[in-house]
Amino acid sequence: MATWTDSHRALSGRLNLAQLTRTLDLLLLMTAREVKLRYQGTVLGFLWTLAKPLLLALVFSFALSYVLRIKAPGDAPFVLFLLSALFPWTWFQSSIQFSAGSFSNNAPLLKKVYFPRFVLPLSAVTSQLFHFVLSIPILVLLLVIWGYYPGLEWLVGFPLLVAIQLLILAGAVLLVASFNVFLRDLEHLVEVLMTLWLYLTPIIYPLSAVKGKVGHLIYLNPMASLIQAWRDLFLDNRIPGTEIWPALVFAALALLAGTIAFKSLEGQFEIAL
Amino acid sequence: MGELKTALLHLPTFLRASRARQEFWALRDVSLSIRRGESVGIIGPNGAGKSTLLRIVSRLAPLTKGKLTVRGRVSPLLELGAGFHQQISGRENALLNAVLLGLSRKEAKEKLADIADFSELGGFFDQPMRTYSSGMYVRLGFAVAVHVRPEILLVDEVLAVGDTEFQRKCFDHIEKLRQDKVTIVLVTHDLDSVKRFCDRAVLLNHGVIAAEGKPREVVDEYLSRHFEFSASPTSRGDS
Repeated sequence: MATWTDSHRALSGRLNLAQLTRTLDLLLLMTAREVKLRYQGTVLGFLWTLAKPLLLALVFSFALSYVLRIKAPGDAPFVLFLLSALFPWTWFQSSIQFSAGSFSNNAPLLKKVYFPRFVLPLSAVTSQLFHFVLSIPILVLLLVIWGYYPGLEWLVGFPLLVAIQLLILAGAVLLVASFNVFLRDLEHLVEVLMTLWLYLTPIIYPLSAVKGKVGHLIYLNPMASLIQAWRDLFLDNRIPGTEIWPALVFAALALLAGTIAFKSLEGQFEIAL
Repeated sequence: MGELKTALLHLPTFLRASRARQEFWALRDVSLSIRRGESVGIIGPNGAGKSTLLRIVSRLAPLTKGKLTVRGRVSPLLELGAGFHQQISGRENALLNAVLLGLSRKEAKEKLADIADFSELGGFFDQPMRTYSSGMYVRLGFAVAVHVRPEILLVDEVLAVGDTEFQRKCFDHIEKLRQDKVTIVLVTHDLDSVKRFCDRAVLLNHGVIAAEGKPREVVDEYLSRHFEFSASPTSRGDS
């Protein structure tokens, strides 16, 4: 019954293309702003992005490798084993945490201008991607120090895994940010869940070590096969193969759920904000 | 705890609760068509639904019932500088804001010089916006809004900003846009500016159209209905 038609836009394909480039422009500018604002006024700036995975790796190494004497599978030092998973994980975790409030914290903007709003949570993901890419040289440096040389396989594997994780994140942040407008508890819930999720993902243990009936449940974790694929790429220069399929399924599901949630809730943002 | 339980048990209802709380029609049976290049003034007492109408046209408020067709790029001037960020410079804010209002990044970059010029910010243009006075803030907001090549300009009472000199400049610019055949919808309590700028006026009252026609006649109708306004109709319009 209620319709809003913008015939100017609907009639012309050329204009739709213009609309798409404008959306990308918006994403680019918002990402740049996000990157700039994140560490403004801090002394260490970008180093904070590195500090998170590095400190986690240090603590885990102490507890698991030094105290409990657990050995990493293969011959990689435990720190590298951890870092190869913690860097992509940090991108995942920060994106979801920072994007949860991206609609609810931008009420003044959402109430005064109409624009493709999904750009807001997405810019949290892309700005964290930017930090992730910037932190790769550090990872490479550490790999090289221990005699692990990145191969040409990275040129295929890296963009591929970035793309898959980007899709999963895009869906997830749309879902979380949309519901968070109506239920602000979600912001806090997400923070708790992300800490627990870390332990349910093969980060401090390899995917291959998860066995038994209960162990199979780990494949319900969207990040399980993806994190393992990151590690295989970073440590063994292995291009992800068919074993990555669960991540692809989850990417499709996340996008579907995120889009449906956003589409059906967007109209009511105005009332809730 | 009780609230949480209720919320979870009735999640779908809970999400819609704010709508169901109280039935209120901000606008009802409003049928209106505005031609390209026309400038229309919307007047009426507080709570008549004027702003809601603009918010619906600019897609910010959902349409509960009915149909709305818009042909052209809508540029809402509902609040100047919505989304400006205090920590980054006026230039960066202007760029992002122009893209938010509908330009591409390339177009927005080309307009930056004009925007800087119009806003009269001088060296402050490259300073973080937290250093701005409220007047400077508004000047930049207006400068961006009128430089995004609007096809349909929605103005909601924002012209009562800045000093007299800047207000004149704003009105001059709007007049220029009008001559360029930009469609203008003006919501205001400043009845003189309606008489001066608009080809047509619409009087809203309690969400319905109470009168429509020549600005002078509709303004007179409004004043005679709500004669408390007739005491000081000229006090604001001379700026």
